[in-house]
Amino acid sequence: MKHITATVTGIVIAMLTSISYAESVSDKHGLTLEGAKKVIAATVAEAKRVNAPGSSIAVVDDGGNLLALERLDQTFAASANIAIGKARTSALFKKPTKVFEDAIKGGRTSMVTLGSDLQNFTPLQGGIPLEWEGKVVGAVGVSGAASAQQDEELAIVGAKSLDNMEMAGMTNGHTPLPVTYIDRQKVSDSFAKGAVLVGEDENMMHAARNYMVHASHRDKAGVVEVHELDTDIVYVLKGSAQLITGGTPVGIKIVAPHELRAPVVAGGEARTLVPGDVVIIPNGVPHWFKEVEAPFDYYVVKVR
Amino acid sequence: MKKHVVFAAVALGLAAGPALVHAQLMEKTALTLDGAKKIAAVAETKAKAEGARVVIAVVDEGGSLLLLERLDDTQVASVNVGIDKARTAAIYRRPSKVFEDQVKNGRVSALALHGAVALQGGVPIIVDGKVIGAIGVSGETPQQDEDIATAGAAIAASFTK
Repeated sequence: MKHITATVTGIVIAMLTSISYAESVSDKHGLTLEGAKKVIAATVAEAKRVNAPGSSIAVVDDGGNLLALERLDQTFAASANIAIGKARTSALFKKPTKVFEDAIKGGRTSMVTLGSDLQNFTPLQGGIPLEWEGKVVGAVGVSGAASAQQDEELAIVGAKSLDNMEMAGMTNGHTPLPVTYIDRQKVSDSFAKGAVLVGEDENMMHAARNYMVHASHRDKAGVVEVHELDTDIVYVLKGSAQLITGGTPVGIKIVAPHELRAPVVAGGEARTLVPGDVVIIPNGVPHWFKEVEAPFDYYVVKVR
Repeated sequence: MKKHVVFAAVALGLAAGPALVHAQLMEKTALTLDGAKKIAAVAETKAKAEGARVVIAVVDEGGSLLLLERLDDTQVASVNVGIDKARTAAIYRRPSKVFEDQVKNGRVSALALHGAVALQGGVPIIVDGKVIGAIGVSGETPQQDEDIATAGAAIAASFTK
């Protein structure tokens, strides 16, 4: 009898121990200095690509504490601390700092009082959380570029470099993304009406990273399009069209974040596209399918 | 040879002629990010070889942060201590140990120096006899911090314009 009691007690203790272990601590990933340096390198490369006048880039961990910082030559000195503040604010709230700038601009002035409790609270656009497998592991903050908007754009590129490491399978034991397979029936159905093949619905995780795939179909002319972020890589499959690239869009309107449209373009270069042609339209370049010989089908890879 | 430092020549009055420039302006040597990286790389290599968990901060002549690295598993409090040590060495143009020693030897008023921390581990970066910045290290013992900082700062002797 005693033996049984002791055993049962032992089991209960073992169960309690395992339960309390499960509830008391959890596993998490911490950003390394190497990871932080990669984020900074990607941000610096982008700053140089867009000819930013300067920038300070700060990377903090999930507690908002600085891991690494670089201030590019000629960048004003105060930007270093502002970059740290943006990164810290973004990490501690797990949000882009633009959220706070917008809230305060929108009239919620009392939000500035958060600064007294949170050391270096910086509600200025340019801080972006760094995510790993859906969890915020830190943040990157940029200050000192041409504008707050550009600060943020550079930070986004930096933040995405962490995702790219994951996507490339350089994950030190983490699982790479699953392979995407789309059968010919779905592909041809998509071309029949024109559809997003990859980048929406169950495939949204791809769009959250750096590319989308469209099965595009046109029966008539389009409007002038400018994608601020996406580069379009076009492969023509069926029909033909006159494509105008470049020029100055007239009557331009923003239809979605980083997406501009216009009814016409002044100037630009005209090309006739036929099956087999490939066109690469870099982000920011206006383009317009002005005349279309239907049905015009083309495969598009959108890269960010 | 890659340039680690640049001349920061102020353009004001340049048109007025060399003599006036000489009277009103002076040429200065400024530490670049590239130079800061070289210094930090030497310090990082030494720290890793010793298993030291430290923050390495490099500031410019004015004490403003140019570059920072926190090695994996370093206590987070060292971030600000490292920056403070570097700023102290830069704006007072001497190792921060000088002030720690002063306090230790009874000059408690050294604690009142504006912008300084009396903590060993900040070392000036010197090129052609001029202080153009500083490196601060924090995380291990005061002596080890300073040794790592000194190793980093020493590479500046090889810098050329």
